[in-house]
Amino acid sequence: MTAARPYLPQLRTSFADARYPGGRQRQLAVWWNEIDRTLLVLVLLVMAIGIVAVGAASPSSARRLSKTDVKLEDLYFLWLHLRFMALGLLVMFATAMVPQNLMRRGCILLAAAMLVALLLVPIVGGEVNGARRWLNVGISFQPSEFLKPAFAVTVAWMLAWRVRDPSLPVISLSAATVGLIVALLMLQPNLGDAILFAGAWFVLVMVAGLQLQRIGILAACSTAALTLAYLFYDNARHRIDSFIGGGTAYDQVDLASRTLLGGGWTGSGFWMGTNKMSLPEAHTDYIFSVIGEEFGLLICALVVMLYLAIVMRVLMRMMNEENLFIVLATAGLIALFGGQAFINIMVNLQLFPSKGMTLPLISYGGSSYVAQCFVVGLLLTITRRNPCLEREKFDWRAAFEKDSVL
Amino acid sequence: MNTLAAHRAVPSGRIRLVDVRRSLLMTARLRVLLVCMVFFFLAIAAMLRIGWLGFVQPAPQQRSMAEALLPPRGEITDRNGVPLARAFPAYALWYNPRAMDDGGAPLVKSPREVAARLARIFPDLDETAVRDQLAAGKPGYIRHRLLPEEANRVNAIGELALETTQESDRHYPQGMLAAHVLGYMEEGRAYVGMEQALDTRLRDPAQRGQPVVLSLDARVQGALEDELRRGMLSVDALGAAGIVLDVDTGEVMALASLPEFDPNKLDAEGRRNVFNKVTNQVYELGSTFKPLTVAAAIDAGTVTDLSRRWPANRPLVMGKFRIRDSHTIGASLNVPETLMHSSNIVTAQIADELGAARLKQVMADLGMNERPYIELPARGYPIWDKGEWPRLKAMTVSYGHGVAITPLHLASAYAAMVNGGVWRPTTLMKLEPGAAPEGRRVFKQSTSARMNQLLRMIAKYGTGRNADAPGFRIGGKTGSAEKPGGSAGYRRTTLVSTFAAAFPMDKPRFVVIIMLDEPKGTMASSFQRTAAYNAAPIVAKLVPRIGPMLGVLPDDTRDIDLTDLDPLVGKGR
Repeated sequence: MTAARPYLPQLRTSFADARYPGGRQRQLAVWWNEIDRTLLVLVLLVMAIGIVAVGAASPSSARRLSKTDVKLEDLYFLWLHLRFMALGLLVMFATAMVPQNLMRRGCILLAAAMLVALLLVPIVGGEVNGARRWLNVGISFQPSEFLKPAFAVTVAWMLAWRVRDPSLPVISLSAATVGLIVALLMLQPNLGDAILFAGAWFVLVMVAGLQLQRIGILAACSTAALTLAYLFYDNARHRIDSFIGGGTAYDQVDLASRTLLGGGWTGSGFWMGTNKMSLPEAHTDYIFSVIGEEFGLLICALVVMLYLAIVMRVLMRMMNEENLFIVLATAGLIALFGGQAFINIMVNLQLFPSKGMTLPLISYGGSSYVAQCFVVGLLLTITRRNPCLEREKFDWRAAFEKDSVL
Repeated sequence: MNTLAAHRAVPSGRIRLVDVRRSLLMTARLRVLLVCMVFFFLAIAAMLRIGWLGFVQPAPQQRSMAEALLPPRGEITDRNGVPLARAFPAYALWYNPRAMDDGGAPLVKSPREVAARLARIFPDLDETAVRDQLAAGKPGYIRHRLLPEEANRVNAIGELALETTQESDRHYPQGMLAAHVLGYMEEGRAYVGMEQALDTRLRDPAQRGQPVVLSLDARVQGALEDELRRGMLSVDALGAAGIVLDVDTGEVMALASLPEFDPNKLDAEGRRNVFNKVTNQVYELGSTFKPLTVAAAIDAGTVTDLSRRWPANRPLVMGKFRIRDSHTIGASLNVPETLMHSSNIVTAQIADELGAARLKQVMADLGMNERPYIELPARGYPIWDKGEWPRLKAMTVSYGHGVAITPLHLASAYAAMVNGGVWRPTTLMKLEPGAAPEGRRVFKQSTSARMNQLLRMIAKYGTGRNADAPGFRIGGKTGSAEKPGGSAGYRRTTLVSTFAAAFPMDKPRFVVIIMLDEPKGTMASSFQRTAAYNAAPIVAKLVPRIGPMLGVLPDDTRDIDLTDLDPLVGKGR
């Protein structure tokens, strides 16, 4: 876009000024026109549901975690959540403001940094609940949380090299990267995140055009890997056993099921739930069940629809995107976001063995909440496009005539 | 990588790259579509699962806001808002041998030790029985109505198999007060009393936030039970019944049946006493019927002259049957004397003159041919001869034999007699001012006024003298009926003694019925068994207690005007 520009004598032109002439206000107006506002509204809606849901679950967890000497007030987690939310919104909008090029470079650097941090975790990490996942630098955070989005963007960037040179073995390279990460995660142990990374990578290479037959091989391999995990990985075995065997009365899964069904279709009413009080991790992993008890299964269905709407909205916009990197990065990011959301929902609905995975943007905050906001920020900036440009419509018929690609 | 195979023929690099880009993009879009579909199916699966959970799974109990906020069962209060029954959140101790769920022994410690520790918490626990229950390993309740502190101590034993589950219990804060009116709850079900009668209303989420207000006055009820119990014990009676009824509205101010039971803790002994003598037991109530007969005769016009004298010195012979008095009162008696001295012979003659049909009609109008009108589920069927009454039947009914009714029937009939002649159904629900039912007219107003004079004369000069509390202008009639049974048809020494009273007679407000079942002659009753010596004194003690609460203050300067009748009985000359 700069090629045909006449020379304009300017003393100091920053990068941003060059892109958006007319000052900050104009710059903001352009940004506002370029971002996907529907996505933004959907995301804010989910976050609003999150405030209410954490408010509902907070008394349960606060009472559970209170000790005789330290008594947490009922809404302790709600206030904390609101603070994390403020931080998350800041991160989200700041990320959404960053230009795409800068974002890509930043993500690659972040991925490198987080990979190093992940390497450090087994050595200097802090242990919580028998898993070494946390790194303490002033504030404690899980490197894997921030690695996830950065990883998706970086792998997308690697896979997009093929546009320049089709002969590069990008898939093998990316496979090596994800293999390293998964191995590091299994050391922690963190099976949930490992599955999420592998899944996101799988979506990425699939979108990048991996052949169907290789996809089949990959699927078979992942089944085998899961079986191995089942056989040699105690934590996973326990969870899968209790999922298949039905578990015992009053175990976590049973309590969650009681909570989910406690309110029937219309719910018992805000703060009227009683089953949630005996549910561990009510404000994080099982917040969907708390929503079920207090607001009813109908609202649960609404939450499912909202997540589906976000995923659909993002992916459908990719149907006429012309930049392969953008398509790949978006698919990777939304696979992380949607994957985590649906795994959590499936766990709560007892369709999936329990994992330590939060419901993105609804569960109580912490570094993972900020990381999810970061993901949304990345999605917002990556899907930015000039609304005045006509795009080539996706030609459904042409697409299916060339059935060889699918 | 291999998707590019088709494009190998393209000659030069740059064009080829454009082609590669297009092809990669096309593939990417289709694969994105595939990802879309995967998420779509995931969402469908989640929705189906939600639907399945909602419709099929352990039928989700619909819980409403009301369920959580309102008491599980409505409160019952007396007419002044004093709580009589309320919801009480308590714990139950349930033995769940499978709580540990490990296939091993249900308890960690030995049953003996656990039973001993439970007995330390509950000193009245049957330790042996509990030990056997624990050892047998059968699930079941060990105890109900645990206090929160007791539940904590049970949990501190540390046995998973001892589960303390919350249950909503019923608490009757006034103890045994009005137990027969209230009824009781057992295992979540309501039995007898208003608990059963109002069960739907008390459980209805739309209404149970508001307490049910009964017509009872807890203070009056307390006084009635207190005096009734004292009277019953002093004459060693089998039981006793009492009612205080508002004559103008039909509201029951107090209703007691003794011996009572404790609805908070129903034991074997209490279970025997659940039967309500006031509304369910029918008695031949004897001489208390005489004023009703006289009222019917005055109303019908067969008695126009109260000074007319009837022969009374010789038993009335009707075929094989002889109607006699307890002792010869006099050669002849006029109407006031008949009532004052309670003469069967004269009352029978008055009834005979009135005619069986008309007497029967009045008794039916007073509601004696059907079950009493009250909300309670336990209401006795009167023994009532539906066919045409022969002469003898009318004669025996006139002094209270041959028709068996509940004390509540009698209270209702007396209310109609003294309130100006209007019969109204009785109720246990508080009525708003002006909401009293219209009722039906049984007696003329003039008849009622005359009866008020006669009733007052009985209490002032006659057999009811022991009931005449100073200043309360009590009127009333004794009744000492022989109970059916024995070889002669009636047992002459086994009595049901009743006193049916109203006060104040110058403007009757309340009817009081006191009934004692099989009183004995004791020192307290001067070794007499008749109502004048056991039931009447109870009224004399009760009315001064309840009168001021009900707005009737003692006043020596007021009374019903008896000056026109006094000369007939040799008074006031």
